Amino acid sequence: MKVTQELFKGIYSSNPVFRLMLGLCPTLAVTSSVNNAIGMGGAATFVLISSNFVVSLIRKFVPSKIRIPVYITVIATFVTIVDLIMAGFFPDLHKSLGIFIPLIVVNCIILGRAEAFASKNNVFFSLIDGLGMGIGFTLALITISTFREILGNGTWLGMPVFGSSFKPALLMILNPGAFFTIGFIIAFLNWLDRKTSVSS
Amino acid sequence: MDKNFYVSPSPHIKDRDSIPKIMYSVILALVPAGVGAVYFFGIRALYVIIITVLSALVSEAICQKIMKRPVTITDGSAIVTGILLAYNLPAEVPFWLPVVGAFFGIVIGKAVFGGLGFNPMNPALIGRAFLMASWPVYMTVFNTVPKNGTLSGISAITSATPLNVFKHAREILINSSSFSTQQVTEATNAMSQFSSSYGSLFWGKVGGCLGETSAALLLLGAVFLMYKRIIGWKIPFSYIGTVALLSWIFSGNDGLFSGDALFHVLSGGLILGAFFMATDMVTSPITFKGRIFFGIGCGIITVIIRLWGGYPEGVSYSILLMNLTVPLLDKFSRPKTFGGK
Amino acid sequence: MKDIPKFALTLLIVTIIASGSLAWVNKITKPKIFAIQSRDLNNGLLNVLPAAKNGVIVPVKSPSDPDNILYYEGFADKDKTKLIGYAYLVPASGYSSIIRTLVGIDTVGNIISIQILSQQETPGLGTKCQEIRSGESKPWFQHQFAGKMATNLAVDKDGGDIVSLTGATITSRAITNAIADSSKSILGLINK
Repeated sequence: MKVTQELFKGIYSSNPVFRLMLGLCPTLAVTSSVNNAIGMGGAATFVLISSNFVVSLIRKFVPSKIRIPVYITVIATFVTIVDLIMAGFFPDLHKSLGIFIPLIVVNCIILGRAEAFASKNNVFFSLIDGLGMGIGFTLALITISTFREILGNGTWLGMPVFGSSFKPALLMILNPGAFFTIGFIIAFLNWLDRKTSVSS
Repeated sequence: MDKNFYVSPSPHIKDRDSIPKIMYSVILALVPAGVGAVYFFGIRALYVIIITVLSALVSEAICQKIMKRPVTITDGSAIVTGILLAYNLPAEVPFWLPVVGAFFGIVIGKAVFGGLGFNPMNPALIGRAFLMASWPVYMTVFNTVPKNGTLSGISAITSATPLNVFKHAREILINSSSFSTQQVTEATNAMSQFSSSYGSLFWGKVGGCLGETSAALLLLGAVFLMYKRIIGWKIPFSYIGTVALLSWIFSGNDGLFSGDALFHVLSGGLILGAFFMATDMVTSPITFKGRIFFGIGCGIITVIIRLWGGYPEGVSYSILLMNLTVPLLDKFSRPKTFGGK
Repeated sequence: MKDIPKFALTLLIVTIIASGSLAWVNKITKPKIFAIQSRDLNNGLLNVLPAAKNGVIVPVKSPSDPDNILYYEGFADKDKTKLIGYAYLVPASGYSSIIRTLVGIDTVGNIISIQILSQQETPGLGTKCQEIRSGESKPWFQHQFAGKMATNLAVDKDGGDIVSLTGATITSRAITNAIADSSKSILGLINK
């Protein structure tokens, strides 16, 4: 029971983007196309699981006063590994994500989960937490980028959605579009929450 | 119960003004410019205005229904937003553009903040900024030549609006080395001819957005609103004064203090913006000093955008930016209480 | 204070393990990355100097710094007798990234073709510099450079004849001006 709870909390009840408001910076930057969102989500999920695993593994040996530099070293190592592997084996994805990969180091979701969860829980649950949060982050990115890419570019995953007479609203793939989309999604989720809590 | 004393906080003296009364006065004041727009740009201008107003009304009604609030579309505020947005559009926009713009302005500019009275920025300008960022091609291309006039207001130049001509000529003159001598000569000629365009600019025989071209008709409405004491003199005068002063100092080609101040005051959307949009009661300061600073700030940003920015016209962005400073301006310019520290 | 040696030791161990694993991954991926980069470069060079398909393209290095490739010479035959043109890499500071463009010119300086190798401009605006319109086979923005004099380029807003990208004047201007400026200095080097 607890396993599914830890897994699903990252997807809905404490979704990193829509609930915890973590990692908004990369969210704004990469959600202009669904393709970027999937790549960024996948890379961040890998780093999240790996760093949660290692942080949880070494949590008993690391003195609490120097835990932050240790966590950052662990996270930066995994990010660099992802960067190198992507450049070597998936050059096209690496080209489009480019500068965002090094930014995963300062993505507060990763350090946030290391500090709030992995450093206090055993390895298994930390892995589950990393997986759930990673999936939640990826789904959030895909949701936002779906709205932005369709409205702002007239495509979804690069495929045209409307006929050629559709004139996309450029603003939606510029940064304000991300703020509008995130704002409306959060408002919708809060409205949903209030509705369910009133009825139950 | 009749004999009870009622104790209530101030204000104790109430005016008979109400939201509908104010809004319908503003609408009345905007009518001359609208008639002018139809005269200069043809019947299509009327269609654009009607479509924008209807879209604003429908958007407002939908929002208020969804938010389970009383539907107050008859108070006129959505009509004012619609008219102001329409006055900021070129005559030849495709008809879906004002629909999207009015919807965005009402929803994002007003409804999400809680409706009339809570919006930090002018909804009509939010709509315009959204359209400008999303479909720059439709918003910046002016093809309809006004009746009895030219797009530029200068009889020799027929291709672009006055501020576009100014911006282009200025860019050429600043980097004159990288352009051909013919282009430089043309730019110098255009610059020197602006003084012959005052008449066209004043009456409105120039290209531009629907309601912004005729200074005369806008001033007619503005005088009416000032007489009715719906708008004060502080914001428009400090705004226009700042633009005149700064453009006189900086916009000339022969060093400082050689600019054409009158051209900058009459061209573009300055008159419309200063009298009808910067003075919006919800989004402008309430104190004396606050209003003066607000006007000066709008003027400075407008001139910066016109002379050094990426767009030829900066009125709408300057008002939007200054709208955001209103809470601060009100806070810092609050008059001292008698005896207070 | 007596904890400090312990902290230092912990950090030392963590960083040693981290750098060790990075070194290992780097060893595996370095040849792959290098191969991809040189493959991209070779494809690009052949694209901008198509006449060198049966010939060779040789780098011309700076006499003072052998690691610094100034430009490439393209020959139509393997014996390097028929010189057909030059190619060089032009970096341009765009709106949000460095745009690396490969430019191929003939022996007098007319552009044969250009190819944008990498850019990270605003999606939907600046990225359209690589857009291929439906029904066409070449990116229209890059294709319009072909046949123009490399040293004399300007976008339409600056009085030139390169049609700029809608909403991305900065990107268009950056590419255009960088090509014109680099071409001037490269042609200066070639003709020396």
